[in-house]
Amino acid sequence: MIDFARVQKELQECSREKDSSGIRVSPKSDNLARLTGIIPGPLGTPYEGGSFEIDITLPVIGFYFADGYPFEPPKMKFVTKVWHPNISSQSGAICLDILKDQWSPALTLKTALLSVQALLSAPEPDDPQDAVVAQQYLREYQTFVGTARYWTESFAKASSLGVEEKVQRLVEMGFPDGLVRSTLEAVGGDENLALEKLLSS
Amino acid sequence: MASETEAPEISSLFERLLRHRDLYFFLPFILGVSNNSVSRENSENPDQETSQETTSQRERIILVNPFTQGMVVVEGDSNLEALLRGWVNKDGQPPASKASIEAMPSVKIGEIEDGECVVCLEEWKSGEVVKEMPCKHKFHDECIQKWLVIHGSCPVCRYKMPVDEEDMGKKRDEERSRREIWVSLSFDSTRRTGDSNQVPSTDNEMEG
Repeated sequence: MIDFARVQKELQECSREKDSSGIRVSPKSDNLARLTGIIPGPLGTPYEGGSFEIDITLPVIGFYFADGYPFEPPKMKFVTKVWHPNISSQSGAICLDILKDQWSPALTLKTALLSVQALLSAPEPDDPQDAVVAQQYLREYQTFVGTARYWTESFAKASSLGVEEKVQRLVEMGFPDGLVRSTLEAVGGDENLALEKLLSS
Repeated sequence: MASETEAPEISSLFERLLRHRDLYFFLPFILGVSNNSVSRENSENPDQETSQETTSQRERIILVNPFTQGMVVVEGDSNLEALLRGWVNKDGQPPASKASIEAMPSVKIGEIEDGECVVCLEEWKSGEVVKEMPCKHKFHDECIQKWLVIHGSCPVCRYKMPVDEEDMGKKRDEERSRREIWVSLSFDSTRRTGDSNQVPSTDNEMEG
């Protein structure tokens, strides 16, 4: 069984801390076995500025019908599409040892999510989850950075929602489509900033 | 040793499985799964399945017990083997020996002692009696026992507890023979249809 009393404590801890990490955990339903985690993309990486949603399922039952969480690791996968050697670009599956054989009950949902965030900063292409991404990382690093950044812009930013509408409005003002898109990208999708920049250029 | 056939290895595996609680849950589990034989692969990616529908990709696994001459034929979906292997071959630190668990001293929490049991996240109550591992980390008796019978390492510092020597000595051989058994006794009864020449687009997925 899941130790729900512990999960409750973890959630209280998370909501109390509200720290600089920006990591959040919230239950999806009343039973606390399904949760959603949010991790901000680390600064100085192609994931910067993105907000990544992680689907968390706590195992109810463990190995040989032993207890589930926290004796078994939480199952985590990316809901937000992400371009990273250790994360499947298709399923969001994460290759991270602490979520597998290196799990310890002293870890929590918060610290596990912090580890996932650290993985975003430090890819391990020699132990890949997604072979295509790992190859690109090793052979064409600049292309990798570009793709990862593009995926962050496209899938991990609230401001990336409705980007087409923004483009359309700015194009209607008389700016060329390509310039509008690159400017929007440069300012992180903020329409007003993009307009300022377009007017001043 | 090199001249020996596979048989002694199989019997040693069964012997070990019989003694160990592995097999205790092992057979009922297999039979339980076998009822459920039709399934589809990649159910998480339904959009990729349209062109290469997997039709009843069933697999039979035959288990032979050399002691009883008994034989079990198991039919299951194609993930059965991987599933079984996952359950039999649990990675990570092996369980702590029973003796080492029993040898952990009980200590009393002092009046001004701060901290918590990191397994259940309950704060220490003064005067509470808890277990202390050789690395001096403390946990509730029940909490740490539940963990050490799965993985024999300290949850905090990963200090390794003694494991059963028998298990350790045989581990390498067993891992090899397990693999041989599963590969040699399992086969596909049907093949995928419609993908004989094409490489499935999902092939970039790797187990990491």
